[in-house]
Parts: sequence; C-alpha cells; structure tokens
Amino acid sequence: MKKRSGRSRFVFLCAAPAVLLFMVFMIIPTINVFRMSLFQRSAYSVNEKFVGMENFARLMSDKNFIRSMQNTILLIVVVTIVTFAFALVFAAILTREKIKGQNFFRIIFYIPNILSVVVISAIFSAIYDTNNGMLNSLLSLFSGKTVAILWKGENMVMTSLIIAMIWQAIGYYMVMYMASMASVPQSLYESAGLDGAGRITQFFQITLPLIWTNIRTTLTFFIISTINMAFLFVKAMTSGGPNGASEVVLSYMYKQAYTNSSYGYGMAIGALVFLFSFGLSALVNVVTRREPLEF
Amino acid sequence: MKKILSILLVSALTVSVLAGCSSGKKEEAPAEGESAGGSEEGGITVAAIETAYGSKMWEDVCAAFTEETGIDVELITDKNLEDVIGPSMQGGDYPDVIHLATGREKALTETFIKDQNIVEITDVLSMTVPGESEKVGDKIAGGFTETSLTNPYGDGKTYLAPMFYSPCGLFYNAGLMEEKGWEVPATWDEMWELGDKAKAEGISLFTYPTTGYFDAFFYALMYSVGGPEFFDKATNYEEGIWDSDEAKTCFDIVAKLASYTEPTTPSQANDQDFTKNQQLVLDNKALFMPNGTWIVGEMAEAPRADGFKWGMTALPAVKEGGDSYSYTWFEQAWIPGGAENQDDAKQFIAFLYSDKACELFAGAVNADGEPAPAIQPVLGIADTLEGDNQMFYSIYDNGAKAAMGNFAAYDSGVVGVSNREVWFDPVNSLVSGNMTEEEWINGIKEINDQMRENMVQ
Repeated sequence: MKKRSGRSRFVFLCAAPAVLLFMVFMIIPTINVFRMSLFQRSAYSVNEKFVGMENFARLMSDKNFIRSMQNTILLIVVVTIVTFAFALVFAAILTREKIKGQNFFRIIFYIPNILSVVVISAIFSAIYDTNNGMLNSLLSLFSGKTVAILWKGENMVMTSLIIAMIWQAIGYYMVMYMASMASVPQSLYESAGLDGAGRITQFFQITLPLIWTNIRTTLTFFIISTINMAFLFVKAMTSGGPNGASEVVLSYMYKQAYTNSSYGYGMAIGALVFLFSFGLSALVNVVTRREPLEF
Repeated sequence: MKKILSILLVSALTVSVLAGCSSGKKEEAPAEGESAGGSEEGGITVAAIETAYGSKMWEDVCAAFTEETGIDVELITDKNLEDVIGPSMQGGDYPDVIHLATGREKALTETFIKDQNIVEITDVLSMTVPGESEKVGDKIAGGFTETSLTNPYGDGKTYLAPMFYSPCGLFYNAGLMEEKGWEVPATWDEMWELGDKAKAEGISLFTYPTTGYFDAFFYALMYSVGGPEFFDKATNYEEGIWDSDEAKTCFDIVAKLASYTEPTTPSQANDQDFTKNQQLVLDNKALFMPNGTWIVGEMAEAPRADGFKWGMTALPAVKEGGDSYSYTWFEQAWIPGGAENQDDAKQFIAFLYSDKACELFAGAVNADGEPAPAIQPVLGIADTLEGDNQMFYSIYDNGAKAAMGNFAAYDSGVVGVSNREVWFDPVNSLVSGNMTEEEWINGIKEINDQMRENMVQ
C-alpha cells in the first residue's frame, strides 16, 4: 500500500510540470481569448467594456470578415486537394518507378519546405513581377506576344497565393508518403500484376488503402496548418491587398486586433477560428474513417 | 535513496522550468556622471523606434540629456519597437517616454489615443528647455502643436509632442521634365494636359507606393479644395460632408488620377513590392508619386534613368491662382498613462527641442553610415540644411501652404473598418477598374456616421 502511494506521488510529480505548463500556456490563454471576445477593448486598455455577444453579432454582418472567411475556405479546399493529389502521385512515382536521380528529385521537392515564408515570398515576388517576372516572360515567350498579367492584382491574387502555398507544401507531404509507401510489401504489387492490374489500378486498390491511416493523419495536420500558413503567406506576399482581396481570416483578425485597435473584436474572430478549426478537424476525422487495413 | 533522488530531480526540473517564466529583472545601465537631480527610482526609460534615421542619434541625445539634467536614461530602440515594449506594457510596465509615430501597422500610438491613455503635456510647452532660457512653446514652429495629431481630442490640450517633420508632396524626375521641356503643373487641369502628353510618349502620369501614402495626399487635397474649414469638417466626420461640392471635387480628382495611374501599380502596392512602384519613377515609366523626403535615402541604391534628378512639388491648385498645399508629416513622442516618472519624462520631452538635441538629430547617420538628418519642428531649422533636403524643406517658402492634421480618433466601438480601408485602399480597385467612383463614395458615406458616433470626446 505504502509503495503504491509513493508511486502515485512520483507519477504526480512527474506529470506536474507538463500539466502546469499546459495550463499556463494553453488552457488559460485560450479561456482568456474567449473571455476577451466578450469585451470592447484595445490591446492595452485600462478599462474594458462588457458587450456580451455583440462582437459576434457584428461579425455575422461584417462583409470584410465574410470575404476573408471565404478566402480562407477557398485556400483550405484548393490547396489541400491539389497538394495531396500531387504529393501522392509524385510519391508513388518516386517509390514505385525506377527513375534516375530519385534522391535528387526528393531533395529538390523538399527544398521549399526548409525555406522561410519570407524567402518564398521574395522568390514569388520575382516570379510574379508584371514587367520582368519569370512567369510573364515565359508566357510571352510561348505565346509570341507581350503578356502582362497582374499576378498580384485583384483578380489573380488568390490564384497566386494558392500556387505559392502548394509549391511550398508538396515536398514535405511527398516525403511522408514515400516513407509509408516504401513499407507496402512488394509482393502485393507482384501478385496484382499477375492478375492483370495496371499501375493506376494498383495505385488506387493497393497503395491508397494501405497508407490511408497516414493520409488521414496528415490531412488533419494540413488543414490546420493551412489556416496558419495562409496568414504568413498573406502577410509576407500581399499584406491582404489589393483592397482586401487577399485577406484571410487570421490576417483580418490581426488587422482588427492591432491596426484597428479593436482587440475584443479581434479575439471574437480568434474564438470563431478556434471553433472552426476544431470542428473542421473533427469533421475530416469522421468523414475519412475507414476500417484500417494491414499487410 | 533512489526515490529521494528522483523526487529531487523532478522538483529541480519543476523549479527550473518555473524560473524561466519569472519576469527578467531590468538591469539599470551604470550611470555616467551621476549627479544631483536624478530621480529616486534612478531615472527614466525612453523607448524610441529605430527608423531610417538610425538609433545612434537617440543614444547621443539621451547622453546629452543625462549630462544636462543628471537624470539617467535607459534607452530602448528597435525597428519593431511595439514587439519589444508591447508585452511588458500588457503586464503593466510602461516606458516613461515613447517615440513612435502614428500610421504604423500595429497602431500602438493610435491605440493609446483611442484609450485616452496618454498624459497631457500642455504644461511642457510653457516649460523652459533644459540648459536654455527659451520656453518649449516658443521654439516649436507655428501650427505644430495645434493639430489633431498633437491635440487628438480637439479640446485645446496637447498630448503628443511633434517630432521630426518631413514635407510630403509629389516626387518626380526633374531631369526628365527638363529634357522634355515640360513644366511642373500648377493646377489639376495642367496636370491632366501633362498626363496626355506623357501618355503619348508611353509614360504614365502617376503611381503610388501603397495606398497608405494617400493619407498625406488626400489631406493636402482636401485643404486645397476647401481650405482648413472643409478639412476640419471632413476629418470630424460631419454629417453630409461627403455630399458637398468640395468632397465631390476631391473624389473626382482621385478617380481621374486613378485612370492616369500606371496599370501595374495596384498589384505592387503592398509592403513587399512597394519599391517596385517607386522604381517606376526612377525608370521614367511614371511621372509623379506621393511620397516624403525619406524617399531619397530609401532609394539611394536603386538604379535610375540617365540624368535623374529628384524633384518635389506641392499638390497642384484646383483653380488657377488657388492655394497649393503640401502635407507636413511628423512623428510623435508621448508619455503613456502608466509611466512612473512623469515629471522627468516631461523634462526629457522639453529637452528634445534644445539646440543641442536638434543638432544631434540633424546630424543623424543611418545604419550604413550615410547622413540621414532628422529635422525637429523648431523655428529656423530649414536654413541649416544642405543638398536635396534644402530644396525639400524650402517648399513652404516657395508658396505652398502647410497642411497638417488627420482624421479624428474614434474608439474601439468602430469595428471591421479603419480610415485607410474606407478612404484609401479602394484606390487600388479604382485603378484596376474593379470599383466605380460611386461605389467608393457610398462605402465612405456608409461608415462616416459610425465613426462620428464613436469619436473620442
């Protein structure tokens, strides 16, 4: 008995620092965000005014917020689908096919991931330049006339953001899928091949189901990280412009909390984003649930 | 034994982790030449933003202040000053003096204005400058302490001290104008004529770095269209003001200017690419851009067309013989409400206008060692300048009137919009054709009432 209580004390002491840190740095601040979203205040306010759910009610009719939310959802959907499609196909090609310089490609694809967003935005600033940019120059070369697409103009800016975000993310997920694809036994492909299954059938019938658990986990990660990465990309590449066309929900929150000194309103956006990402992850988790297959 | 050891290790871990959370103790720099007069707490803390002027001048001025008054100064300078002092202010620890202009993205100064969390410094104007016999108010040039940027609540009381001024206007390549034999337009009609002439040569009339530069432009435009009276009404969001003829003239000019703007401008009008828009003027692809005197230093290393020479003009007059205005942009120094040593802080602000401090500021060098004079708004300072700066700062001697002030402060009851988003950001859409002048004006009218109702009284 005595030994048991000593053991639980030891376990308690071991867990205490982590629990304490988690409380101080995660739970309390999160609760605080929800609390502040009910007040009218600035970041340094001495006095704050309780306004209840008014901040949330205003959000629902705030056209700029709705647009930033639409942009965020657009990014989540398009960037996720395209990145995952490319990452899976590239991973399958690099693991299943015999290609010269496999490792070289792996490194090339991975490089964007180790660059900081600021560097990426500088690279894309050069690519997207209207007059001397790489993209317009290439298009001019092939079309035979001067192409002057405003890549960061109001109509194209979201497309430009999507391209940059996909370019940045593919490599990381490709390497992850390569690792799990490598562990799928070769014999499965061989027997499928004997049964007459082509490469595409093999990919959909063998590779995808067997690495599904991995895809599921990365999908949840990716969706949440896209919300955060979108903020960084917007901040570094467009500052939300022109005229708010590329504003995403976190950059809008930042603008409200600081530039517009409406900290309470910003926190209301923060609280919504928190619930939104939580709900979305749960939804993705439920929708992608499958009987796990083992080999 | 083993158990005791593990408990000890765990507690050591807990303690060391928690120790990391405790707030670091501020270390006071050893006082040089400490003498009588130093405050009991051991001096003041000054937080100053490091801009194109560099931070050396602040070190020198603080040292000179300590030498003059015996009050020690702990100086904090950083390019991202808000990030450095912000967290400790949220924890209740405030610097005694903050030098940080309005109009920055993090809007720290605006936040303090909106919260009415700034110490009134009207009495500083009647204080004697430390080490001199003149009063502060007599040294500061006329008009600077009567604007809404220094008296944000319109009650005749001063809360922010004006610092480092810079005339803003339209910048252009004087070399190109000479070469083509073009005159700098004195009225907007001449401006449009010049725009057509330039267009024939493949040059756009106008560009702008970002829409943030439209504030100085729009303020000067409001002055030149309707004088100070219209400006005051408009910046106080008077009811129906945007339906007036004056407002219509302002909107029409900006909308017409948008049609003369270099078409790639909006896609580059962000914090990352704005220098590309400035480069358009250096490359003779656009004639004019709104800017401030800092442009010369900012683009010092940039390539430029042959024979390039900086020129600057005030905004053209609306009618022949009308007034032309140049907006005076300046920074602010202020004492946050939570400052502990307010009396010493006021001494420091008074000292900022001393001959010694003005000289040190004017002799500022930037991080590359290039001269980057910061000009205090004191009487007679323009006579001491040289080179490009002499030309820029003499704009008011050459007939242009000074425009000062900004939109009145409103409290955090206005959410979802800011002045820049309503008035200036849509210019991007006007240029790209995604918005009509009518839609822009309607957007402004919609929000005008909300701002008036939430104005800080």
